[in-house]
Amino acid sequence: MSFPTGITSLNNMAPELPVQASEDLLSTPMFSLIHSFGVDLHHAESYIGKTTRMSRFERLSTEGGQLDGSGIDPASEVPVRTDIDATMEIYAKSIVTNEQVVLYENSKTLTKFTALLGQWLREKEDLLMRDLFSSSVSYINCTGGGNGDQPSNLCLKDINNIENILLGNDARSMLTSLEATNKYGTAGVRDAFIALANTNLCADLQLVQGVTLKSAYPTQEGIRPEEYCAISRFRFFVSSKAAKTPGISMRANTVYTIPMYGLEAACKVEQNNYTAVIGYRPPWVVSSVAQNSQLYAKFAIARAITNQNWLSGLNATTTLAS
Amino acid sequence: MPFTIISGDSFTSTGAGVKIPLPSSADFFTTENITQEAASNPNTVIRGRWFGKKFGSGASAAGSGIKVVKTTADLTSAFSAGTGFTYVDTSPVVEAQSANAITSITAVNPAVVTQTNTYSDGDILQFYSTTGMLQIAGMNFQISSSSGSGYTLLGLPATASNGFAAAATAGYTRRISKYGAVEPEFLFITNISQATQAVVSTSVDPSAHYVVGMKIHLSVPYSFGMTQANQLTGKIVAVNAVSATSNIGAYNLTLDIDSSAFTAFAFPASTASPTAALFATLAPAGASTQFNPVTGVQTGYDFKVQPFRTGQFTPYMYLAGGAQSPAGANNDVINWLAYKLEN
Repeated sequence: MSFPTGITSLNNMAPELPVQASEDLLSTPMFSLIHSFGVDLHHAESYIGKTTRMSRFERLSTEGGQLDGSGIDPASEVPVRTDIDATMEIYAKSIVTNEQVVLYENSKTLTKFTALLGQWLREKEDLLMRDLFSSSVSYINCTGGGNGDQPSNLCLKDINNIENILLGNDARSMLTSLEATNKYGTAGVRDAFIALANTNLCADLQLVQGVTLKSAYPTQEGIRPEEYCAISRFRFFVSSKAAKTPGISMRANTVYTIPMYGLEAACKVEQNNYTAVIGYRPPWVVSSVAQNSQLYAKFAIARAITNQNWLSGLNATTTLAS
Repeated sequence: MPFTIISGDSFTSTGAGVKIPLPSSADFFTTENITQEAASNPNTVIRGRWFGKKFGSGASAAGSGIKVVKTTADLTSAFSAGTGFTYVDTSPVVEAQSANAITSITAVNPAVVTQTNTYSDGDILQFYSTTGMLQIAGMNFQISSSSGSGYTLLGLPATASNGFAAAATAGYTRRISKYGAVEPEFLFITNISQATQAVVSTSVDPSAHYVVGMKIHLSVPYSFGMTQANQLTGKIVAVNAVSATSNIGAYNLTLDIDSSAFTAFAFPASTASPTAALFATLAPAGASTQFNPVTGVQTGYDFKVQPFRTGQFTPYMYLAGGAQSPAGANNDVINWLAYKLEN
């Protein structure tokens, strides 16, 4: 058997195009956005300053009040109003693109850049709310865990202590109960406050006594993907960007801050017509030779802790740190 | 790889460190000590340069950079650790720098720290692993009367009756930002007096964060003794109005809370760590306005301090102070420029 010579192979006829794009883009990484959905949303009008004031009338004292028949009026009480102020701030990001990128890229780069800016908007907002929680709230060190650090790792006693604080301050739970159903391995979940934790705490969350992992909820309907578990009266939501401070525990380990709160504890204020602005500046505006165009995104936000009584939290280290 | 100058300015040094907010991330930063450049043979830093992470293996280490010292011939070398540039671009705002060991913290009011350091008056330090005073491990304090060998903690009345049985014999510090990511930030409480108007001592100067008329919420774990103060909200009636004495620190807020019948406040013993509940803190709880028609004075309307707002702007460049550092010695005129690579 003889073999033909002069075989046409890739050696002498390479494909005209060396690469092709797959039918789908790969996912752009995005961290879980957990710091905004549990807070109140307020709106600020234009043309009346950059500070928004939220006011609360404090309840009247319930002491005394009985008329003794003497005709003497009980002492009147002066109502107290507490004002919470928040200053509007504007954040922006832009992408300047040379025309050759648009010209030579085989996909719609400007459309994708717009999507990236949209993602930045929500991520930045989430981090700003995280910073509010980590800076302006009193936290208590965990002490019941067994890792020997200060603060310790999470335990049920520490979590119950925060429930005591919130209930003692008449905080209202944020999430309604999930009624038990006739499904094997599930259990009802009580109405709950919200707790926000770093993903590095997930291993410790699983070990807390009485934990109900999300998979054991009686229903998965309406459950957010970033929810991790329920412990005591708290439902925990986790994010890789949740607050942590490296190297400040007694043993120089990372300390994780866990805000735990109920209704109306914190808020964000959106500026009307400035919540999410995305725009395009064409090349003839950006560049004198019309070669660079610009996409931008900007938003205005004000943030505030509206009631410290209804917000508390824990500082914790991880079991692995010991 | 063209550069864009994103910001630049000049300042007259006080000899202390300087924090320079930047409008965007920076890749190159330079300082010129105009005063010392004109001097003959001053043997001080006349020029500093910092290279960001875009320079890869050529990037400057945290707290360092390149310095030019003017002698008979200019000498170029790296800043020793902590005496150069510190670039901070993230929040929470613990500056990127190595931990600095302390030798001791005295158990008196105010506490005095012995430590070889490059800190400046007003810096805020995070303390941890404080052997002998573990009840403050994790707290931050503002420093004053600083020298290269130590400083004073005006916010730490470390007396025996405030729970401090002995001096600290070891520990570490890191410098952190003077402001929280969001202001008003929570503050650590170091004492609460028993008085008709409680005086709350804080670990840092509260006047940068709170004003008269604002309300604060107290969180006082049971281990601090004064359980009656826990979860109370009070209005500030004076800031730093009480002189340091006994267990009251120099940094303090006077509240409209009558604590005269409360049990005494004291830190848990160091030996109670790590199981003692920590820390006593205060957090912003709004404000109530007052108007005095006789004096015409209105309190509770300070829009520079009162509203929730961004505290520490990031990114920023911290220039260490002193003759051998980029921020220079007292009265030196320093020019600075920040650059960003365009691609």
